[in-house]
Amino acid sequence: MTELLLWPFVAGLVLTGIHVYFGLHVLARKVVFVDLSLAQVAALGLAVAILAGHPVQSEAAYWYAFAFAIAGAVLVALVRPHEGALQQEAVIGIVYAVSAALGVLVLDRAPQGADHIKQLLAGTILTVTPQEVGNLAALYAAIGVVHLLLRRPVMRASFHPQDMPHGLLLLWDALFYASFALVVTSSVRVAGVLLVFCYLIVPAALAGLLVTGFVARLLSGWMLGAASTAGGLVASWAWDLPTGPAVVAAFGATMALAALVFAIRRLTLRSSALLASGIAAIAGALLLAFPQMDQPWLDALETALPPLHTAFLSESERATRDETMQSITGAREELTRLRALEQDVRWNKVEMDSEKAERLRQYLAGKSELSAGDALVLRHLRGKARERQRYLVGLPLLAIGIWGLWAQLRRRAV
Amino acid sequence: MLAALVVAASPSAEAEQPRLLVITTSPDLKSLVEAVGGDRVEVESLGRPEQDPHSIEPKPAQLVRVKQAAMLVKVGLDHEPWLARLPAVSASVVDASTAVPLLQTETPRLRAERRVHSHAYGNTHYWLDPKNAWPVTTSILAALAALSPADKTTFEANRQAFLTQLEARLAAWETTLAPYRGARIVVIHDSWSYFAERFGLKIVAAAEPNPGVPPSPGELAALLGRLRDSDVRVLVADPHSDPSLVRQIAGKSGVKAVTLLPSGRDYIALFEENVQRLSQALKSGQ
Repeated sequence: MTELLLWPFVAGLVLTGIHVYFGLHVLARKVVFVDLSLAQVAALGLAVAILAGHPVQSEAAYWYAFAFAIAGAVLVALVRPHEGALQQEAVIGIVYAVSAALGVLVLDRAPQGADHIKQLLAGTILTVTPQEVGNLAALYAAIGVVHLLLRRPVMRASFHPQDMPHGLLLLWDALFYASFALVVTSSVRVAGVLLVFCYLIVPAALAGLLVTGFVARLLSGWMLGAASTAGGLVASWAWDLPTGPAVVAAFGATMALAALVFAIRRLTLRSSALLASGIAAIAGALLLAFPQMDQPWLDALETALPPLHTAFLSESERATRDETMQSITGAREELTRLRALEQDVRWNKVEMDSEKAERLRQYLAGKSELSAGDALVLRHLRGKARERQRYLVGLPLLAIGIWGLWAQLRRRAV
Repeated sequence: MLAALVVAASPSAEAEQPRLLVITTSPDLKSLVEAVGGDRVEVESLGRPEQDPHSIEPKPAQLVRVKQAAMLVKVGLDHEPWLARLPAVSASVVDASTAVPLLQTETPRLRAERRVHSHAYGNTHYWLDPKNAWPVTTSILAALAALSPADKTTFEANRQAFLTQLEARLAAWETTLAPYRGARIVVIHDSWSYFAERFGLKIVAAAEPNPGVPPSPGELAALLGRLRDSDVRVLVADPHSDPSLVRQIAGKSGVKAVTLLPSGRDYIALFEENVQRLSQALKSGQ
């Protein structure tokens, strides 16, 4: 695990370091989507580089992407003084959409690059190399030092733009967006657009909820970014998930958890009762009206409490269910064992003549289909139970929900 | 006298006859239709060799040509999901997969496991076995002969000449790859099963269990562990493969990475190139 995830984790820390800082500025400037927009402009630059005959991972392609991103950054900076006439967010959106469309048009002339651009936007943080991480760290350290030295005007341009003359504001905005374009172009090559967006916005936004003051938010954001990175990487390993999307999901889960905590803190007893009654009424109504639709809440309850399911089956149906579940468990064990054997044969760890190996492969395929058939039997039984739960669970649940809502609303009226 | 006049007149009448417009979904099929149709057909491919065949977006001019076409030839199975979005065509549609012996047809409709192959009706990359040119050109010949019965003999002769040439080249390719028969290889995407089957190579794993979705750390670690401990020396990538994934696997396991072309404008040249690239990689990996 460490061998494969060490460098992605270090890369995540480097990305957190610079992006939380820029994220705080971006949130203050209210230009949340500028990152996606500049990344798309950089991708357009890559597409043009490919059309010009440069390989997608070459230095030339990187500088094309950077030049395009700088042009996009300057455009965004130029708009800010005219915010009254033309909203900066609107320009950011237009730049995004037009760059994406131009990218498609350009790549239509050089189609071999289309997949690489897609991969670039999706990101491949799992396969990041120590050299790439080192280069990023050096570049971001240099940008960090420049921003530290120029912190006063840069901070004023982001947090108190009204205190700056227009000419100066334009100059510092241009510097800010140019350095931001450099960061986005470099980060997207390693982590992809979605992940870079998360590093930029999620920790900074959460830190804004938790603490006040720029330095405190920066430190909190760094900790949240590091924790989300670690959580995403561990989840990716433990649950066998693609790494980039797993880290993005970890950022999403962190945000959702924070939102839930905030919501729970604001909930009163009465609003909790209203919410619970509403949920019960909707769940009951759906079960009553559409018993065969997916009911994930009931599935989860039945998994935790099997009698909730078996109580709605006849004796013979229960026997069929037990038999089928035994068959599935047995098949799963056998399939796991035989698959390991098949892998060993494939990799030449175990000798087996080709005819026998083919028979093993076919047996595995057949057994797998049979197991899937057993799963269909369980599904059928679940459908039968649902028809009965429709009235015995759905109707009471709907009644309780409506009664709860009515009682709460009546109390309010009184 | 009259019969002689008819015979004398027929060549010029044939010469004036417009050529049949045939649209194919891939350049490989275009090459095969041209081989059978010869001068009697004008063939255009909707896809290019460099494009991902699963996600082609036809342009307006191509849609016009599809409407004008007498025949549309497709790879079939579920290889071209975008084809269903085309407006209804009046041309006769040839599914080139019809007579092909498919691999991985047990690909489940019901499989309970998480990992399902992306193709529901068997592996669709059947043109990568040169021997499948026989059934594919049979389907093409039948459809062309139905459209232009007068040219049936010409089509048959064209097909025979092409297959004779292909057979000779196939023997040469088999000779080139004969020293490596039984060699185990790893692929990035599971598109080389037919090719491997023809030339006696054994594909032991695909790095992307679901094409286009990067492997998880666990899958990558398992693959690298197996590779380090095995006699596998070559990793076959496609031009669309993620270069950083290819670099990572090759760098950490010491296997030789080689990019083979899954599609080409000239059917025979496609195999010439792939056989040359693969034999060099297998040779240097020994």
